[in-house]
Amino acid sequence: MAISKQLAMTNKDKLLLGCFLIGFCFYAKADPSLFDTSLHGLLDLRYQYSAARPGEAENGLGKFRVGGHGNRFRANEAALTLQSSLGWDWSGILTVKYANKQYNPLDLSEAFLSYRPVSTSAWQFNARLGMFFPPISLENTGTAWSSPYTLSSSAINSWVGEELKTFGGELRVNYQSKIGHRLGLFAAGLANNDTTGLQLAWRGWSLSDYESTLNDRLRLPNNIGIQANFPKQAALSRPFVEVDGKPGYYAGFSAERSNLYSVRALYYDNRANPAAISNGQYGWHTRFYSIGLKAELPWSMTLISQGLSGRTTMGARLDTLFPVDVRFWATSVLLSKSLNKHRISLRYDRFGTNEWDFLPQDNNREQGYAWTANYNLTLAQRHQLNFEVSQINSDRPARLNIGQSPHQEETLWQIAYRLFF
Amino acid sequence: MANCLPFVFLATCFVTLTLSAEAATLTGRVDADGNDLRDVVVTAKPLNSIKKYTHEKINPVSMALDQKSREFIPHVLAVKVGTPVFFPNSDDIRHHVYSFSPAKRFEIKLYSGTPKKPVVFDQPGVVVVGCNIHDWMLGYIVVTDSPYVTKTDEQGNWSLELPEGNYQLSLWHPDSIANFGSTIDDQLVPTSKPLHHTITLKANPQTGKPPSTLQLQGYMDGF
Repeated sequence: MAISKQLAMTNKDKLLLGCFLIGFCFYAKADPSLFDTSLHGLLDLRYQYSAARPGEAENGLGKFRVGGHGNRFRANEAALTLQSSLGWDWSGILTVKYANKQYNPLDLSEAFLSYRPVSTSAWQFNARLGMFFPPISLENTGTAWSSPYTLSSSAINSWVGEELKTFGGELRVNYQSKIGHRLGLFAAGLANNDTTGLQLAWRGWSLSDYESTLNDRLRLPNNIGIQANFPKQAALSRPFVEVDGKPGYYAGFSAERSNLYSVRALYYDNRANPAAISNGQYGWHTRFYSIGLKAELPWSMTLISQGLSGRTTMGARLDTLFPVDVRFWATSVLLSKSLNKHRISLRYDRFGTNEWDFLPQDNNREQGYAWTANYNLTLAQRHQLNFEVSQINSDRPARLNIGQSPHQEETLWQIAYRLFF
Repeated sequence: MANCLPFVFLATCFVTLTLSAEAATLTGRVDADGNDLRDVVVTAKPLNSIKKYTHEKINPVSMALDQKSREFIPHVLAVKVGTPVFFPNSDDIRHHVYSFSPAKRFEIKLYSGTPKKPVVFDQPGVVVVGCNIHDWMLGYIVVTDSPYVTKTDEQGNWSLELPEGNYQLSLWHPDSIANFGSTIDDQLVPTSKPLHHTITLKANPQTGKPPSTLQLQGYMDGF
């Protein structure tokens, strides 16, 4: 049974990939002049020095993806994005990436069709179909979802990278005013997001720069009682699976004016059945509000602030309580200044979780804050040198289970060379 | 001799008209916060012209707004009403040029080369031009019903050849805080010295040039 379910997923993946290839070939054959393809990508090499507890990659409760005390060199990421126009209104985007400690060395991180016809009226209609990021992050605007501001994403965007991806369709209607304000309403129907929320409950918020891929597996913290309390839970979490066959959705609004401001707000609900379990993956009913503001200030300064607040529940309900019922919230403020080839950015993150459930031994409460400072220099448009330091202070009582103090101060120094093409 | 009188009279009138319409050169310089400002559109409209000025008499020559290195060249194009504008594509990639400005709504799908048919700009106003494939591309076509129009060069200098008379002078720049059509001053031509104007710019103007890094050029999230 388990094997057949796994195979079904693999077939779905193949179907998705097949649709793209057939689409590409169809258009290429129909009219070669309509088939315009470009290839972009990045290579990201790092030197890191950390004074931190083991993180997600080491089955720990540390707040960085990889912790430990000491230094290391590593190839952090290599990504390739294929963009192809399919006629004048449609385009296809496919991103394949390698990342350090990624479950499959090479896997898909984005694969979608974008519908963006030209509008010569004030109204505009857009759509996306496939596997893509929900419009939450205002920082990850670069090649393969990288950020021009920092190496480590904010707590909110780290979570988006790890556990949130839309598998479905999104529609957007925009109204553009005469002086350039663009107001939009959007909504999406989605699937394969039923385990979203697991990392926030069991591991908590983190600062990372990892985007989970189509067939990815995320590690769970060891020795905090997950296996004892939830023996059916698989050893690895699959971030993008459908557990109960019930689709989810998000809906929101956006307002923007180029080079001035951008506001996005949405409500997300994966509508997962918390009592459902399939192949060791529980349904996590996760719903939240997200709001983000980006403002271009005088003197080439950029301000980005995001906030997110929600709740995730998991397991069969007993009276009014669930085995896991976690409220989560996070906020960040980033200030960045660019000067020719130089950019300096400073970000403050604050985050927390609380819970009301019937398993006090599975303690998922935490509080914390983080600072990230980055300087980068970009030469010849493509070579980028980054110097960054992040420090996270957090309190998580579950650390007592693994013999750690609930309060931890963790620091990560990074030097990165990133090549964009 | 009596038969010749009308000719003498007509000849005298002709000389007088020619003299009153003697060409003069009006020159000026524009800056913003002390820096030379290029791409300022300068128009001069006669206030008390002998002949009533009409659009039909301009017979404008065709112009071009090029797409080169994923940028509109020039960033600002000043044309007279009725001007046909060609949109060549000098890049080896496609562009999808459009505008939804009330003065001219249009859409052109550009492969390589120049489409045979130009777009005729038949109403005065500012036409903001974009590319649906490259979001940052931004160009302006200023369509004016003034008979005399020019643009400042890189040093912020401009000059207009125009008959002596009284004119309404207008200056416009896409990054200016002032709206299109706001008249600067009335000007008597000829003048004894070059004119000088200062324009206040917006805090975050859009350049219409590609982002400074490939990191920001090579990603399309589709949203």
